[in-house]
Amino acid sequence: MDLTDTIELPTPADTVPVGAGLSIFDPVFLGIDEFGHPAYLPMIYRNILIGGEPGAGKSSLLNTIVGHAALCPDVRLCLLDGKQVELGLWKDAADVFVGPDIDHAIRTLRRVQTVMDNRYAFLLSHRRRKIGPNDLFGQILVACDEIAYFSATAGDKKDQDLFAALLRDIVARGRAVGIIVAAATQRPSSDIIPPSLRDLFAWRFAGRCTNDVSSDIVLGHGWYARGFSSNSIDPNNQGEGYLIAEGGIPNRVKAAYMTDADIIRVADYATWTRRRSGLVAPAESAVKVAA
Amino acid sequence: MSKSSQRSPFGWSNRGGQVTVIEAPVARSYRRRATIAFWVTLGVVGLLAATVASEYMHPILGGLLGVVLGAVLGAVLFALIVAWPVLRVFWHWLPEILLGLATVYGWTTLMQSTPLWGSLLIVALVVGVPAAIAPTRRRVMAWAWCLIVRHRLRLCFAAFIATNRHGSLPLILLAKPTPAGERVWVWLRPGLSLRDLEQDGQMQKLAVACWANEVRVMRAGRKYAAFIRLDITRREPLAHTVVSPLPDYVPTDIPANAPTSPGMPPVGLDLPDVPDVTVIASPDAPRQRKPRNPTTAASPNGFDPSDYA
Ligand SMILES: Nc1ncnc2c1ncn2[C@@H]1O[C@H](COP(=O)(O)OP(=O)(O)OP(=O)(O)O)[C@@H](O)[C@H]1O
Ligand SMILES: [Mg+2]
Repeated sequence: MDLTDTIELPTPADTVPVGAGLSIFDPVFLGIDEFGHPAYLPMIYRNILIGGEPGAGKSSLLNTIVGHAALCPDVRLCLLDGKQVELGLWKDAADVFVGPDIDHAIRTLRRVQTVMDNRYAFLLSHRRRKIGPNDLFGQILVACDEIAYFSATAGDKKDQDLFAALLRDIVARGRAVGIIVAAATQRPSSDIIPPSLRDLFAWRFAGRCTNDVSSDIVLGHGWYARGFSSNSIDPNNQGEGYLIAEGGIPNRVKAAYMTDADIIRVADYATWTRRRSGLVAPAESAVKVAA
Repeated sequence: MSKSSQRSPFGWSNRGGQVTVIEAPVARSYRRRATIAFWVTLGVVGLLAATVASEYMHPILGGLLGVVLGAVLGAVLFALIVAWPVLRVFWHWLPEILLGLATVYGWTTLMQSTPLWGSLLIVALVVGVPAAIAPTRRRVMAWAWCLIVRHRLRLCFAAFIATNRHGSLPLILLAKPTPAGERVWVWLRPGLSLRDLEQDGQMQKLAVACWANEVRVMRAGRKYAAFIRLDITRREPLAHTVVSPLPDYVPTDIPANAPTSPGMPPVGLDLPDVPDVTVIASPDAPRQRKPRNPTTAASPNGFDPSDYA
C-alpha cells in the first residue's frame, strides 16, 4: 500500500481543515527492509518497545509513530519525554505533554488509566469487547521517550515503582480500547524496566546495541543465538535496526527519517487541524511555562 | 564420505599418476547400491513384463521377454547409479556448461554467417551494451553471484556441515538475487536440521566461504521443517536515509502563522546560573536505597540473569 496515493490533500486554507485523513488503523510507514520493500508497522491494538544505544535513532522512530498519530484526526497524543526536546515539537498538537516531572507523569498515567477503566465499563455495558474504526471514542497514543528517566532516575523508589506499575497496567489492558503505548529507552534491562513490563510489549525495535546481550534484552531472549544481534549494525547507520513485528522474526529495517523542519511542519499542521476540529484546545500549560 | 574434503570440486583426485574418477569407498558404496537396484528392477520389471507379455504369447516366451526387459532396464539403472557421482557433477555445473556451449556455438555460427568485423561488432554490442548500462550490469552480476554462491554452498555442505550416515548433502534449490545479496533455498536431507546450521560458528564459516558479510538461516515456510532459506548479505542496502512520507500529507498552503507556544527567556542555561543548593529529601519518603544487592551485579559482558527471570 502506498500511503501517498490513498490520501486526498485538504482543500485550500479558508475551509475548515479536515486533517490528513490518516487513521491509526492504517499501518504506520516505518521505513524499508533490507530487501528494499517498504516496512509497515500496524500500531492499533499493539505496543512497541524501542531500544538501542544513545544515538541509535530511537527518538526518530518514535517521532515517526507520533507523527502518524498526530495526522490521524481522532487520536489523542499523550507524550512523556524526560529529555523534552525529543517529542517537544509535538507539544501543541498533544493533549498532554510531560517533561521531566515524575509527578505529572504519574498524574497523567492515572488519568489514562481511569479513561481505560471507563471505556471498558462502557464497552461492557454495550456488550462489546473491543473498539473499532470510527468508534464513539478515538484512540490514545501514549508515547514515552527515555522511560528510564521516569522508572529509574527521577523521584524516589516509590514514585518510580508506581510509574512502572501504572505503565504496565496501561500496556497490559489498554490494547482493546485503543490505548497504544510506544516507549523508547536505551537499555531496557531489569534495573531500568521491570521485566514484567518489558515482556508485555509485542513489537520490538532494536537499534544498534553495544553488545549481543543488550540486543537480546531489547528483542527478547534467544534471538542472538539464532543469529539476530543488533550489535552487528554499523554505528554510523543511525535508524537501522531489527524490528520484530508481524512475522515474529526480527527483520532488518531502516527507519524513515524526518528532519526537524519536517517535524515542525507536520506538527504545526496537526496542531492547526486539531484546534480547528476542537480535538485540542490552545494549551494552558504553554502559557504557564512562559509565565 | 569422510574423505570428501580432500576431493577437488570436480569430484576426482589424481594420485600416483593414475586418475581416479571416483574414490574407492564411494565407488564401492555406489556399486553396492547399483547392484541392489539392478536385482530389484530385474525382479519387479521382469515379473510385471512377464505377466503382461504372457497375455499375448506363450507363457515361456513371455517369461523370457520379461527377464530380458528387466535385465536391460536394471542394467541401465545400474550404469546410471554407478556413474551418478560423475553425472551429478555435470548436473551441478549444468548452467555453466550450457552457457559455455551457447557461447562457443554462437561464436562459430556468427563467424560463419558474417565477416570478422561484423561478428566482432555484434559481440562488442552484445557484451558492451549491458556492461555499459549500470542496472543491467548489476542484474547480470547478481545472477552470476547466484551461480557462484550455489557452488560455494555445496562446497561448504560437503566440507564441514554435518551430514547423515550416507553422506547425502542438503539439496540446494533455487537462488535469487536480493538488494542485499542472495537468497538460497535449501532442502535438508534426513539427519540434518536447522539447529545444526544455527550452531555457533557455522553461519560465520559459510559467510567466509561465500565471500559475504553475513549469512543468516531461517525456515522458508511454516509447513516443512526441511525447507530452509539462507540469506547471504554482501551489500549494505540500508545505508541511505529514508525520507518519511508524512510531510507530504501537509498541504503546501497552510497559513504560516501556525500557533506555537511562546518562547522561554534564556535563563539558567549555564552552570554559574544554577545555584548550588543541598537537596532535602521529604521526610515521609523512604530513603533511597541501592535497588539490589551488589553480588548479582552484571558480569563483564553485561549479562544480568535477572533480565531473563
Ligand atoms: N532513520 C534515520 N535515518 C537517518 N538518520 C537518522 C535516523 N534516525 C536517527 N538519525 C540520526 O541520528 C541522530 C540521533 O538520533 P536519535 O536522536 O533518534 O537517537 P536516540 O536513539 O534517540 O538517542 P538518545 O538515546 O541519545 O536519545 C539524529 O539526530 C539523526 O541525525
Ligand atoms: Mg532519544
